[in-house]
This record gives sequence, C-alpha cells and structure tokens, in this order.
Amino acid sequence: MKKPIVLLLSAIMAATLITGCGKKDTPKEDTTKNETGNEQTENTKNDGGKKTLTVTTWDNDTTPQFSATIKAFEDAHPDVKVEVIDTSADEYNNKLTVMLAAESKDPDVIWVKDMGSLLSMASKKQLLELDEFIAKDNVDLSVYSGAAEQLQVEGKSYSLPYRSDWYVLYYNKDLFDKAGVEYPSNDMTWAEYEELARKVTFGEGSDKVYGTHNHTWQALVTNWAVQDGKNTVVAKDYSYLKPYYEQAVRMQKDGIIQDYATLKTANIHYSSVFKNQQVAMMPMGTWFIGTMMQSQTSGETDFNWGFATIPHPEGVAAGSTVGALTPIAIGANTDVPDLAWEFVKFAASAENSKTLAENGILSGIQSEESFDIIASAEFFPSECKDALKYTNYVFDRPLDENIDEVRTVLDEEHDLIMIGEYTIDEGIKELQERVAEIKGY
Amino acid sequence: MKTNKSIGRIILYILLIAASILMLIPFYWMVISSLKLNKDVFSIPMKWIPDAFHFENYQIIWKKLPLLDFFKNTTKLTVITTIIQLFTSCFAAYGFAKMKFAGRNLIFLIYVTTIAVPWQVYMVPQFTMMSRFGLTNSHLGLILLQSFSAFGVFLIRQFYISIPEELCEAARIDGLSEYGIFAKIVFPLGKSAMATLVIFTFVNVWNDFMGPLIYLDSTNLKTIQLGIRMFISQYGADYAWVMAASVCSLIPVVIIFIFCQRYFVEGVAASGIKG
Amino acid sequence: MTSKQKRKIKNNLVGYSFILPNLIGYTIFIFLPVCFSLILSVMEWDGSRNPMVFVGLENFKRLINDSTFRISFINTLKYAVFTVPITVVASLLLAVLLNKKIKGIAVFRTSFFFPYIASLVAVGAVWNMLFQPEYGPINNLLRAIGIANPPRWVVSTKWAMMAVIIVSIWKFMGYYMIVYLAALQGISPALYEAASIDGANGWRKLRYITIPLLTPTTFFVMMMLTIQCFKVFDLIYVMTGGGPGRSTNVLVNFIYNSAFVKFDFGYASAAAIVLFVIVLVVTLIQFKGEKKFVKYM
Repeated sequence: MKKPIVLLLSAIMAATLITGCGKKDTPKEDTTKNETGNEQTENTKNDGGKKTLTVTTWDNDTTPQFSATIKAFEDAHPDVKVEVIDTSADEYNNKLTVMLAAESKDPDVIWVKDMGSLLSMASKKQLLELDEFIAKDNVDLSVYSGAAEQLQVEGKSYSLPYRSDWYVLYYNKDLFDKAGVEYPSNDMTWAEYEELARKVTFGEGSDKVYGTHNHTWQALVTNWAVQDGKNTVVAKDYSYLKPYYEQAVRMQKDGIIQDYATLKTANIHYSSVFKNQQVAMMPMGTWFIGTMMQSQTSGETDFNWGFATIPHPEGVAAGSTVGALTPIAIGANTDVPDLAWEFVKFAASAENSKTLAENGILSGIQSEESFDIIASAEFFPSECKDALKYTNYVFDRPLDENIDEVRTVLDEEHDLIMIGEYTIDEGIKELQERVAEIKGY
Repeated sequence: MKTNKSIGRIILYILLIAASILMLIPFYWMVISSLKLNKDVFSIPMKWIPDAFHFENYQIIWKKLPLLDFFKNTTKLTVITTIIQLFTSCFAAYGFAKMKFAGRNLIFLIYVTTIAVPWQVYMVPQFTMMSRFGLTNSHLGLILLQSFSAFGVFLIRQFYISIPEELCEAARIDGLSEYGIFAKIVFPLGKSAMATLVIFTFVNVWNDFMGPLIYLDSTNLKTIQLGIRMFISQYGADYAWVMAASVCSLIPVVIIFIFCQRYFVEGVAASGIKG
Repeated sequence: MTSKQKRKIKNNLVGYSFILPNLIGYTIFIFLPVCFSLILSVMEWDGSRNPMVFVGLENFKRLINDSTFRISFINTLKYAVFTVPITVVASLLLAVLLNKKIKGIAVFRTSFFFPYIASLVAVGAVWNMLFQPEYGPINNLLRAIGIANPPRWVVSTKWAMMAVIIVSIWKFMGYYMIVYLAALQGISPALYEAASIDGANGWRKLRYITIPLLTPTTFFVMMMLTIQCFKVFDLIYVMTGGGPGRSTNVLVNFIYNSAFVKFDFGYASAAAIVLFVIVLVVTLIQFKGEKKFVKYM
C-alpha cells in the first residue's frame, strides 16, 4: 500500500523540481505570487493598506475604453488599486456566467457587454440594485437623456450607461473622388444609398472597388428594418424584414457588395476590407472611428475618409439611427459595495465622459462639449462632426429575456438567405416558426 | 522478385510523399501566412508563395505578447500534469488490467462512461466547487483538474491487457509482489503506450484553452493558448500576427513528439518480451 | 476467517491501492461534478442563486419536441457514422505502412501526426480557404477533372457536414496511427518470420496476424473515436459555427447553447444524459466484444 504513494510523491517532487529548474532566473517572490494570487488580493482588502477593486473587461489591451477610466479613477483615488480580469470579447459572457454562478466575492464591478446579458444577470439577482445609491448621492439621471431609464429592469436600476454606440456610414473619399461621385450626405434614404453604391462600384478583378460593404452580421440588414421604431427583432411577424433582405440580396447579386459566402469562408474582417480600400462605403458602428483614427496615426492607412449619418427608411426623419449601450454594474456578491459604487458613479460621470471623448470614445452622456473634444482630435475628419448628431435613436435589440436565443435563430436564417440556400420568403417563414417556438406564441 | 519489391517500395514512397504533402499543407500555409502582410493573408485567389517575406511579424508579436511568461506558465502546467497523469494512470491501469478485486468492472465502466460527458455540462458545478476550495485563479487548481483523467487509465489498460498473463504468473511464482511485478515487468514494457499518453496529454494540456480561460484571471498566470486567443480577439484582422503566434506555440509540441516517437521504433525484441 | 478469505481481502486491498491515487483525484474533481450535473437533468436551474425546481422528466419531454435538438442529434450521428470507420481503417493502414524500417520514417510519421497538434484556429481558417467554392484549390481541382458543378462545401447545407468530416479524419487519424504504432511494437517479429517461411504474402500477414492481434487496440480506438465524435465541438465551432443554418449543429453545440445562451442548465444536462446513454450502450457492447475476441486474457 505504501509503495505506490511513495512513488507518487516522488513523481510530484520530481515535477516540482523540473519546473523549479525552469524558473531559476525568475525572482522568488514572483513564484509565490503566482501560487497565492487569490489570497493576497483578499488579504489586502482586509488590512489597512491599499483597497482593491476587481473589475471585468474584454479586449482591454487594444482599446482605451476601459483603461482610460481605470487610470483616471486610480489617479483620483490613490488608496485604491484596480485589478482587471480581462477576457477576450467572444468568451466574455461565458466566463462571467461561470464566475457569477460560483458566487465568489469577485468581480466587484462588471462592464456589461450587451443589454441581453444585463437583463439575464439582473433577473438572476447577480447584480446589485443601484436605486438606493442613486438616491443617496442624488445622481441626476437626466444627463443620460433617457438612457438610464431604458436600462431599468422591472422599474429598478441595476446599471448606469457607460458607453453609447450607434451606426454611421463610413466612406472612402479618395475612391469617391476617383469615381467622380459626390460624397454621401447626412440625409439619404436606403434607396438613395443603394443608388449611390451602384455609382461608386468600378474596376475589375482584384482591383474591383465595391460600392459598399455588408459585413456578415445579421444586424447589418435587420437594423435598418427596425430603424423606424415600429418593430423589434423579437416579433411575431417578420414580414417587415423582407424589403431589406431584398435589397441586400439584390446588391450581392449585382456585385455592389462582396459575396457573403466568400466573406464568411475566408473569415474576412470588415476593418481590413475598408482599410485596404476595396469598398467605397461601409455602414458600421461609431467604435470604428477610433479604429480608423488609430490606423491613420500609426501610418497603417493614409487615404482620406469620412462618415455620414446612417441612411434612413422612406418616411423616417433624417438622423434616425440604431445603436446600443454598454452599461456598467456591480456584482451582487461584492465585499466592497461602497467602493464599487464609487467607481461606477465615477465611470458614468460627466467628468469621465470628457476623458473618454479625448480617447475617441462616445460615453453615455452626449453633449456639444464631448463632440467638440472628439472632433478636435488629430486624424478625426473634422468636417464630419455634424454626422455624429442624431435626431432619434432606437436600440438594435430589445430588452427581451429570450433575445440571445432569438439572435441565434436570426443569425442562422440570415446565413441561409445570404448564401442562397433559402429564398427570402422561406427564410422569413422558418424564422417566424422558430421564434414562435422560443417565445411560445 | 527483387525488382517487384523495389517497384513496390518506390510506389510506397511516392504514396507516402504525396500523402505527407497533403497533410502538411495547412502547416505550410500557417508559416507563409505568418510571413505575409496582414492584409495579404486572405487575398483571393490564394497565394502559395508570398512576394516578400516579413520576418518582422515575429518581432512584433514578441513585443505585443508576454510570450516568455506564457511559455513558462504553460510549460509548468503541462509538465506537472503530464507526469502526475502518467504515473497515476499506469498504477490504475495495472489494477484494472492485471488484478481482480471486488467492483473492478463497475468502477471501470463508470470511468469510461464519464469520458463521454462533455465538459461544458459540468463546468459550472466544477468551478463552483473549486472556487469554494479557493483553487480558482491558481495553477494548482488547473493541474488538479486535469491530472486525473479516465482516458489515460483506459489507454494504458488496453496495452497492459495485451501483455501475456503468463509473464506476470511466472513472476508471482518467483515470489515477486504485485508492486514488484508492476515496477519490474509491466511498467518497463509499457513504454510505447506511455509515450502515446505523454503525447496525448501534452498536446491537450498545451492546446487547452477553455480550462485556462475559466480558471485563470491574472495576466501573469495565463497560458500560451489563452494569450493567443486574447490576441486574436483584439487583433482579429491581423491574421499574419495570429499565425506567427500560432507557429511559436507549436514548436514545443513538435519537439516532444520527435522525442517520444523513438519509442515506436524499438520493437518487441528490444524491449525484452521473448514469449 | 479462512486463509482463502484472507487472501481475497488482501488481493482486494492491493488492487485498490493501485487505483487509489487516480481514483481519489478523479472522484473529487470529475466524478462529483458530473454526478451533480446529471442530477440537474430533472431540475430547472438558471445557474444562479435562484432555487432549483424539481421538474421530473419535463426536460426530456421538451427535448423530444425541440426541432434543434432533433437536428443536432441526427447531425451528430451522421458525423460519427462517417468519421469512426474511415478513421479506424486509415489510421491502421498508416500505422502498418509506417512500421517499416524505411528511410525518412521519422519525417513521414511527423507529417502525419502534424494535423493533430496544429492549432484549431489555423486549421479551421486554412480549410475554409481550401473549400472556398469559387476560388478554392479543391474546387479548382474538381473542375479540372471535369466536375462542372463541384459542391459548395462549407456554404452549402448539404455539403458542410462532409467538409467537417474530411477535416476531422485528416486531423485525428495521425493520433490513432500513433496508438496503433505503439500496439504494433507489442507484436513479436517471430510471428511474421514464421509466416514468411510458410509463404504468406503481405496481405495474409495483415489479415491473419496483425489485425487479430490488434483487436484490443481497435476496440479502444473505436471506443475513443465514438466518444470523441459524440463530443465534437471545437472543430465545428472554428469551421462553420454550426452553420449554414443548423446544418452542422451537433449535440454539444446544443448543450453549450442551452447552458450559456439560454441559461437552462437542467435542459443542457438532460441532453447530456442522452449522449451519456448512447456511449454507455456502445461501451457495454465493446466490453462484451472484448471478452469474446481478446485472446490474451
């Protein structure tokens, strides 16, 4: 009985020795930190030293959207250390689901990736209610121009709006000049947009310039169908999607946009298509402004670009757009609720909004001032400042408890329509049936 | 007769070379992609020979990713896990293959069938449990999770079964204890099986992504695959860099394989069974 | 207590002592969580502190009426039915070919093993390029040999699963080749020498010596492949993401979406039970078969 255990022990010892050797040149304290990272965090929380606050982020290294706020907060609160748990964007929600299910003390502050997960976390009681904090500190929710109320779940606030993004129409000025066509205006219908796209499609073979670009997201067709605010993507009757799918399929057939199947199989990222000057226009979210500015700064691209307000359906006022909010919330099991609230309040404040604007990010508070700050940045196409303004804003997806499931179905049917396996009518019919199955209509 | 044989040999060679090329195409593509400009990686039609070689891609990823730390962490996890798994699996396999005890078949059946439960199903309860033990966000937790696989036991058992029973019986008559038989006879005979398990475990732990994703929070604990996935998520369009990082992550696994594969050439005569 | 009983107890103890180091770790870290999640199959739970509710067989009833479950079940079967036999035959043949003393054997073995270690992300990307319907090399080749309308592979609901199967075989046969190679080391060369003296050709040696002696390994390979096929997820995730539509959606996709998109952990567990039962049946058949065929025991 003893022998195998002795053998096992010696095996483990051998293993530790081997890795011990591999680590020779790293300082000793580094190793111990590795092993006990968790406990140390909790210790510092208890003793009188620096207080620690844990926040969750995604893709933290490439965008300043979180790091700018974290840095500003640490500067303002020298006694607080903010620990970041960073995950890739694709897996962020999954990791959060597992962490929150374990009900551990961390994370304290959560940036919520989409409104669907806000709803599910709130209904699972994984987020702290903020109404008391808001009342106590007299936080004025009107600065968010209605966004804070839109984020409420069953009349309660679980989050504050941190970022706001909406769709605009990017264009490549050089390609428009080459084609001798006037730049897109801030007031176009979708029909006029298609007309324009046909005019700026030119060239052959590998030099071909496509008039516009539809990335593979289902949102880039369905968004325009919900732009008038009459329908949402969770519906009993999806016939309202038909004209928009007809347009997308027509443009694909006529070679105005790149072939969906090719984009999908070659895994082509929309930013490379635009940066490589293969398309003259591209509807995309405001987050791409920062990407383009960065690319111009680094010298990766050097063509002239700009953006216009997103086109609108016939009969809808110019400047109506579609977008989404990024809320910030507090984990229900946090051991430092007051500090976490301090951070959330700071992150969503008007003051921080300016810091974000300096980094090319549109916060939950939009003011003339923050637009001015963004527009004055280097490499921002300054004459496009007006295109940042919108008159009406609808969410790309409704706060619905089944939204993620419905989106899976939308994605699948979108796929089938765009590769030509289904006609539009077949796709819409199956979509309707499957959503009815989920929603129990 | 002789010419027949050499013609056969030539055909065999041609077949093997053709098949090898087919097998290696994606790897070739990875390497040339890692030497292209980001925007040229997915150019259509595919370019099999790039116009220029951009070795600076490797410098860039070296700067952007703490590759050295990732390598250290991954090596630590992989080596310890592989060793523990190898030893515990061999013990258990001997028990299951060569010993008779009450409940043996039932326990073994449970082992094998749990292999079939996808991790995604029990990920949440497992994480909750580990979190109560305080083992999340540490390498120890990950090592413990991956060290006791039913697969390893199953694999080694299949090999031990085919070791002739007479060999063990003879040793028992000579007065060797079961531990002695295991240590002196069965264990040394299982070298090629162990090499198979080492390769399997090594590749799996090295390439594991979901485990580290769920269990590791701090950047200084993260592994190479996790690092690459985070890199892909952030530089999704920069495919040349992604490929350069993938090529880097592959090298240690290739070395392990080349080292292990010599255990497949010795054959029975060399390892000592003579019937 | 008779000495026979004593011996039996001692034997039991020695037996347990061998499996104990593995059994303890395995029970705590794998078996308990698995049991817990299997119990969930009769519960309704959203993965939070909201209470679990006992719902009996409700989750299973829902599965029967769920069109996505039906589709993913059939897709998984289709995938397994093609992948398992082809991989077994291919890896066995490769192992026999590469068990020779020929020049450059290490290079060949390494190249066949390569797909197994190459990162899935790269593999998925390159195969999708190869399968590209208009410009991809595979369809160019097919057109060159006179097939006017080659399949549209990953962008066709009919052919996407076939594309996944091809890549799976390509990727995994290298590993099972290694398993077979290891097993071939256990066959005494004397047997082949004796057969040669009796005038047996290569095919007869394969048929009457190699294949029968490899039976335990073949059982193992078939077993592992079956399990692996029913658990397939990553490869499909990087190649097609379950699409187009639901044409490559498999059971684990379904389980994963139930747990992480719908937060319906009970439902996910119920689907896992279905998978578990299939594998249990296959395992029992394998056990029976092994007893019948393996001559060494």
